[in-house]
Amino acid sequence: MASSLKDQVAVVGVGHTQYGRRLERSPFDVIAEAIQNALDDAGLRWEDLDGIASNSGSPGSADMDSVPTLLGLKVKGYWQTWSHGRYCGTALTWAALNINAGIVNYVALVHGSGGGRRDRRPQGDGGGGEAAREGGGGHAEAPEYGMTSPGAGTALATRRYFDRFGATSRQLANVAMTIRRHANLNPSALFRDRILSVEDHQTSRFICEPLHLFDYCLVTEGGTCVILTSAERAKNLKKPPVYLMGTQPIPAGRHEFIFGIPGMGIGQMENYEYRPTVDDHPVYRMAGVKHEDIDGLFTYDAFTPLIWFTLERFGFVGPGEAPAFVDDGNIALGGRLPMNTNGGLLSEVHKSGWNHQIEIVRQLRGEAGPRQIKDVEVIQWANAYGDSLIYRR
Amino acid sequence: MPYEKPLPPVSPLNKPYWDAAKEKRELHLQKCRQCGHTWWPIAPICPNCHVRDYKWEKMSGKGKVNSWVVFHQRYFPGFEKEIPYNVCEIELEEGPRVMTNLVNAKNEEIHMGMPVEVVFEDITEEITLPKFQPIRK
Repeated sequence: MASSLKDQVAVVGVGHTQYGRRLERSPFDVIAEAIQNALDDAGLRWEDLDGIASNSGSPGSADMDSVPTLLGLKVKGYWQTWSHGRYCGTALTWAALNINAGIVNYVALVHGSGGGRRDRRPQGDGGGGEAAREGGGGHAEAPEYGMTSPGAGTALATRRYFDRFGATSRQLANVAMTIRRHANLNPSALFRDRILSVEDHQTSRFICEPLHLFDYCLVTEGGTCVILTSAERAKNLKKPPVYLMGTQPIPAGRHEFIFGIPGMGIGQMENYEYRPTVDDHPVYRMAGVKHEDIDGLFTYDAFTPLIWFTLERFGFVGPGEAPAFVDDGNIALGGRLPMNTNGGLLSEVHKSGWNHQIEIVRQLRGEAGPRQIKDVEVIQWANAYGDSLIYRR
Repeated sequence: MPYEKPLPPVSPLNKPYWDAAKEKRELHLQKCRQCGHTWWPIAPICPNCHVRDYKWEKMSGKGKVNSWVVFHQRYFPGFEKEIPYNVCEIELEEGPRVMTNLVNAKNEEIHMGMPVEVVFEDITEEITLPKFQPIRK
């Protein structure tokens, strides 16, 4: 019989290192520090950890084949996905399922990037890694035509979105500015002291047109750790548990393009205006919540348009309505649906979505200081490419 | 002068595509003998009805611009001299969408729905690369 994951697993510890553009530290080193900080946060010891997973091991980060050996862990299970940030929720769900099945008790979800592996960048590269994937991989890569990098895939989808709905790059500046203002309230954010204006955004250079520099996330280094355990074990630890209410994985097929949403007419997708059905998003059913119950929304904001696409994909707004929704201040702190209150990948740090999970936990514990969402009960992690997690306090 | 851009990966699966480009200067895609579907990317079975019964068929070589981007950032050293260069997604008359560069055109004149046709560029002794150009009236 099927059994639901709802409220069976909780986040009990979060930790990270100092973030930076370039840290002269190995990925293993920052992961070790992040784990220690998360253990301290939870009131756990190294010996308690019996599982470890990452969405960003080798190439590009710490090889998960080596992490347990180097850090002296004795785990019953470890796992890494191909190095892509989008598998953050997938990695977390792997841990939740194994905990719920009684196979492991405490899983550390880790991410670390640092000096020493910069020659192994898997994305937007000079011909290895991502670009060599037969069939184009997730990014619609075609190196023989110079087509590479996640930003270019997003740019391709954005051009069609502009054309269909009349949205503009100036409106993308509002996305970047909203998220930057959140970063300005976050002491961990690399751009905490930098103000962004429409003019800054509009006059910044193009990376892959129509996207400007400030439509792109930061490329950064540092380590993060999120510790999961069963709801039962979570009760007796140092901090209040943050429960996982629902999950849904990443859909795939010819109807999908990871930097867009169904119906956009990119790649081999059909061309129509997508409106989600109840069956498209089982996460709400598992969690037993509706849109109006969501107090905060977090998303993988590697590029500004992904915030629009997420709002439409999950039905918070209708097709073409996201730009005006953002322009009207709805995703800012104090708005109807605050998004990425940490400053996101755009302006806090790029920790492959883990910096967002850490902020979600802080919000639900009431630890977010000047960024605190008032009376927050339920927060959703949801992405343009379709996966989602829902948490509650 | 050596060719400096990345070369496409030729595999047993996609070899007929590259052979048709080089030997016939034609764009050939797979067409299902059962359901008539034509598809991209090149696949081992028909993605519509999942049978292995397909033939390689000549496409008209005509289509329209479905979306496009212009690279200002250097990723591949071999493309550096052409920055800013375009990458276009073309919707072929037969339906599939393919990635390419639009040649014999200025980046500024590229637009949605722009009618285009295939041209062939011999980039090495082994590889002939399909590109597209505007159809000028």
